[in-house]
Amino acid sequence: MSLANIASAKAQPSLLARLFARQELALFVCLILVLVFFSVTVENFFSVRNMTNVLGQASLALTAGIGCAIVFISGEVDISIGSLLATIALPLIIIMNDTNSLLLGVSAALLFGLIIGVVNGYLTAYAGINSLIVTLGTMFIMRGGVYLYTGQRAIPDNASLDSFIALSDGRLFNIIPYSAVIAIVLLAAFGYMMQHRPFGRQIYAVGGNQEVARLAGYDVRRVKFICFIISSLLATVAGIILAARVGSAQHTAGLNFEFQVVAATVLGGVSLAGGIGSLTGMALGVLILQFLSNGLRGLGLPTEWQLVITGMIIIAAVAFDEAKRRRANGG
Amino acid sequence: MSVDFLHPGEGAAIDTDVPALELRGIDKRFPGVVALDNVDFTLKPGKIHALMGENGAGKSTLIKIMAGVYGKDAGTIRMRGREVDIQSPRDSLKEGIKVVFQEIALISEFTVAENIFLEGYPTGRTGSIDWKKIRADSAALFNRIGFNVDPAARTGSLPVSQQQMVEIARALAHEARVVVMDEPTSSLTPNEVSLLFTVIRRLASLGIAVVYVSHKLDEVFEIADTVTVLRDGRHISTKPIGEHSNDTLIQDMIGRRIDNLFPRQRGAAGGKVALSVEKLSTARKLDEVSFEARTGEVLGFFGLMGAGRTELAKAIVGYDPITAGTISVDGQRLTPHDTRTGVRLGIGLLTEDRKSEGLMGELPVYQNASLASLGAFARMGFIDTAKEHRAVQDYVDRFRIKTPSLFQQVKNLSGGNQQKVLISRWLMRGLKVIVVDEPTRGIDVGAKSEIFALIDRLAGEGLAVVMMTSEMPELLGLADRIAVMCEGRLTAIMSRDEATQEKILNAAIG
Repeated sequence: MSLANIASAKAQPSLLARLFARQELALFVCLILVLVFFSVTVENFFSVRNMTNVLGQASLALTAGIGCAIVFISGEVDISIGSLLATIALPLIIIMNDTNSLLLGVSAALLFGLIIGVVNGYLTAYAGINSLIVTLGTMFIMRGGVYLYTGQRAIPDNASLDSFIALSDGRLFNIIPYSAVIAIVLLAAFGYMMQHRPFGRQIYAVGGNQEVARLAGYDVRRVKFICFIISSLLATVAGIILAARVGSAQHTAGLNFEFQVVAATVLGGVSLAGGIGSLTGMALGVLILQFLSNGLRGLGLPTEWQLVITGMIIIAAVAFDEAKRRRANGG
Repeated sequence: MSVDFLHPGEGAAIDTDVPALELRGIDKRFPGVVALDNVDFTLKPGKIHALMGENGAGKSTLIKIMAGVYGKDAGTIRMRGREVDIQSPRDSLKEGIKVVFQEIALISEFTVAENIFLEGYPTGRTGSIDWKKIRADSAALFNRIGFNVDPAARTGSLPVSQQQMVEIARALAHEARVVVMDEPTSSLTPNEVSLLFTVIRRLASLGIAVVYVSHKLDEVFEIADTVTVLRDGRHISTKPIGEHSNDTLIQDMIGRRIDNLFPRQRGAAGGKVALSVEKLSTARKLDEVSFEARTGEVLGFFGLMGAGRTELAKAIVGYDPITAGTISVDGQRLTPHDTRTGVRLGIGLLTEDRKSEGLMGELPVYQNASLASLGAFARMGFIDTAKEHRAVQDYVDRFRIKTPSLFQQVKNLSGGNQQKVLISRWLMRGLKVIVVDEPTRGIDVGAKSEIFALIDRLAGEGLAVVMMTSEMPELLGLADRIAVMCEGRLTAIMSRDEATQEKILNAAIG
């Protein structure tokens, strides 16, 4: 137990070694492979225009994916986000049409998202109902509600505010879509929170082992509650961008969106069991799937095939991950 | 007057007259059970106070009330004379009560350093976590205690003994007034135990009140100043350790005298060969292990930490893969090498880790007991539950399993009774060979002798019992023959008569 061997045992592994040990690197390599493959096979794939376009398309899943990953890491799931996208477009568009104010519209949308987050979070964390059931329920309720309210007709954005339209086709320095800028800023902020703020680490602890977290003095229910609110608010942001893009509130908006996000999150190495994964991984998962879909379309493959390939990739990725973990644990 | 183990100089002078923690008239009821009945428990600063009692005596309930895991039904809790309201673990931690539970309570995905500061991360001015300080402070803490654990390691990758040291270190990372240790030595080596005792004495010298819960009498006599004994949820005695002998302590704990901890009822050992293992090797540990076990005998395996006892136990029942060698039960080869074949041939494992490998805690007693024998209760593919219940009830009666009913969730039973449920599971299946791994881990004196009697009875009924143990008295008291392992190899095998502690230890060191 000498000082010397404590000190040597504590030496930090090099940055490269730490990177290699992480899943993010494998994902990053995958992303590069996807980019290289399609750059060679698809004309104009590797152009600033196409790259930034894909980034813009990916921004919805990136933004909502942050919340999805955070809820996963806390050990729960939230599949209500797709319906939420359609639902919050109603207060957003209606209020903007009435008041000509983006601020009021966005505030109304966020308030609505907050309420859904509170409902999901309360029913899961405090009432103790399984989160898959809760969010499956709110998913149906919201989708049904939107169908009923709109009579299955889109409600167009009549205010046509410049600031709102900029969300869909505006670009920072004329290059990067604003929606991608929003996603990147949110990713950086929440990524920082997850790794360097006590609350972020509490989420990992709660998902890693709820009992341990409670014994360490954490308010497990409150942590989960807040995760659901974060998820709903981020899905609301994604919903606002989507509404700007389609210029209306549509009853079919965000249909199956939750599964795209869940797929990308799982591909990014975030465990459904909680406590494992990172937002970086989730983001790489989103980008891989988005570029893949864009590239396959460039190759002229029909959408049906994209679905089949995406499904195979997800299962393969998770199986690979599982095999790696098993080898690491020596089983 | 709180004391921070990292900065001991800052503690003020100790006033030893005012109790650090005083529990008065504590009642706690669970549906159908009075867990604690008007219990008093007073801790003086700077003293090491042992808390003893059989399973179900109320020790863990009392600890959990101190830790804020359970609320009390009646009574008062005072910290240094001031009444406090402890409703949650957070309240308890805030008062400086640190409990090291027996079950490892760490996040396995986190680094050691992060686990050490789990209950409160040091933050910088902006409220962000100061990782540098976390790493430095945990290294300093380990250094100060003398534990050799790598703060940067992923906690789940460490062996259990090191995880236990991390748990202990964690209790000291923040200022503490009361440190409660629940069986802290259950997976430590003798060296680590003596290190732990040094730490505990240091804590006491800093004015911290230490509660030491253990079933090991020798440990209690070595470390404690005072002993409180609980029995059936009631306070029985609190005395300075000097006023106790082994006998009086056991008597207080069980309310009667145990004359013989190892009652031998069975006859002479040595029937025909029931289990034959030849040149068994595994990828990571075992190296050409060969032995035989006969019907009616207890073959005891001894070894220090890491000798490969558990690995051997898991390999011979077909649970863990092997790389070479053969296993035969009653002359039949164990191939394919899996537990399904093992159980069919009649070999089963009584695991050391009841919670994760033995029991389905949420399920009722009867389902846990009948698990391996469902085929015997099936009629045309449907389980005859009446027959199943009768069979389980029979074992509950025979082994005197203390449970309110067959339908009680098995997690609510005491360790000793859980162990009996697991033994029932295997007996019901009609085993020829039973492998028991640390059969009394986490089980206290009174229940221990019952488990010993049960093992004796298993051998008496003609089973071959292969017992893995790290407890010398258990080994010498129960085994007919003793096998000793060191680093995956079998280094000695001897009869009980030729065995001495010295011989065994020599073989264990290799």
